[in-house]
Amino acid sequence: MTISGLAGWLPFAHALVARQDLPIPAWLFAWGASIVLIVSFFALSAAWREPRFEDERWRSLGAGLSRALLGMPAQVICGLAGVLLLGVSVYAGLRGTEAPDRNFAITFLFVTVWLGFPVLSVLLGNVFKMFNPWRAVGRAVGGAFEAIAGQRFAHAVYPERLGRWPAAIGLLAFVWLEIVYGVSGGVAVGLEPHSAAVAALLYSGYTLTMMAVFGVEEWCERGEIFSVYFGMFSRLGAFSVRDGRLGRRRPLSGATSWATIPGSTAVVLASIATTSFDGGQEGVFKGGIEKGYDWLVEGGLEKTASLRLTDTFFIALCFAGVALVYLAGVRGMASVKGAPPLRKLTPGFAHTLIPIAFAYLVAHYFSLFVFQEQAQFGYLLSDPLGNAHTDLFGTASWGIDFKVLSANAIWYVQVAALVIGHVVGLVLAHDRATAWWGDYRDAARSQYWMLAVMVAFTCFGLYLLSAANG
Amino acid sequence: MLPLAHVGHWTWALYLPPILIVIGSVVRNKLAERSRGRDE
Repeated sequence: MTISGLAGWLPFAHALVARQDLPIPAWLFAWGASIVLIVSFFALSAAWREPRFEDERWRSLGAGLSRALLGMPAQVICGLAGVLLLGVSVYAGLRGTEAPDRNFAITFLFVTVWLGFPVLSVLLGNVFKMFNPWRAVGRAVGGAFEAIAGQRFAHAVYPERLGRWPAAIGLLAFVWLEIVYGVSGGVAVGLEPHSAAVAALLYSGYTLTMMAVFGVEEWCERGEIFSVYFGMFSRLGAFSVRDGRLGRRRPLSGATSWATIPGSTAVVLASIATTSFDGGQEGVFKGGIEKGYDWLVEGGLEKTASLRLTDTFFIALCFAGVALVYLAGVRGMASVKGAPPLRKLTPGFAHTLIPIAFAYLVAHYFSLFVFQEQAQFGYLLSDPLGNAHTDLFGTASWGIDFKVLSANAIWYVQVAALVIGHVVGLVLAHDRATAWWGDYRDAARSQYWMLAVMVAFTCFGLYLLSAANG
Repeated sequence: MLPLAHVGHWTWALYLPPILIVIGSVVRNKLAERSRGRDE
């Protein structure tokens, strides 16, 4: 049975499903997951004595494949596709229905792109680079300037200390826009399509300006939110590009060199924190948010502003909490004999959080993705404006089948995602420790602290999910 | 009759033991190392 069209607003993060009917309580899954991590830790301590991921062992996949997938025709086609889809999203946001669930813009930007590209990036490498609409426009304009002026545009030197901080702040701002700004009168209805379109236009102007100032590739590497965010996940995968050639490397090895740019730690912490807040606002933080909201409203602040301010406070709290747990782990590692200085350790282990950020993303949003992509490739594709006037591909009457996933199946996928993500994080941490500590026994001892960090994130993640699932 | 009506509010505490056990082991290991170091 399908549900065609929704009378009310779909609870965005966790779609309508029946209650779970688990064989054991949810908290016992957290104990089980922790045992898996502890056993993994001892296995790593015993068997993993040499670093394996510091060297990518990159090998080219051949000139032919590189030409086919990375050549100018492919770049032009993918770039044009990116620009077209951004244009359709902006147009749909400005001219389409204000119902977020019926408008192409919201599902495309906040589900298909935001949740789809991390998965694609892990599997296929940094594919967003090819589809990045702002990069496509920037390169086209830069190429035209060079052709006309006979010389390259003189860009400013990017301040090295600024690093990826613009992307980290942008990531927080993006999620804030999506789940905090989009509230009204005390009820979370999601961001309005018109607001999303305006934000996309403003972001386009900002991004193209920064590309003109610092250079397209420089800005994409450091400041452009989506390039940095999706690029971070692509480091886990086996495919990468070097000097215009497509190649294959040892999986996970790309992550070890990711956090060398300042601000990278903030990017991955922001990723975990924003996903945690989105999951927690429906469960764990609900009581606190309601109390904060009531206090501000009683103090005379308008309802919408009160809810936004309270939510903002809780996002900041999440970021601080996640950062604190990680920094406590790093501090602990610094106390072990043979440890490098703290200023090297903090960014040096940031890449071990990338699998956790990915696990949190999958765990919190995979059911939403499965349900909303039915809409994306169904009624939203044929009726992008949501006004029931078009049926471009004959799928305007399609609906969403919520029965494809049971509540239990969702929970099991969530648990599996968190366990696998944290075990991978543990592996990366152990590998880095064997590279940086002279003695493998001291390296293993240093990782007791990262084990504590991983167990904390696992239990916290499962608690958030169980509270949100109800 | 046991007063179990509000037990559900405390389920969050059941997620703490694994974290506390690991942290406790880490701290115990650290203290043992320090006393070994002092003995040497």
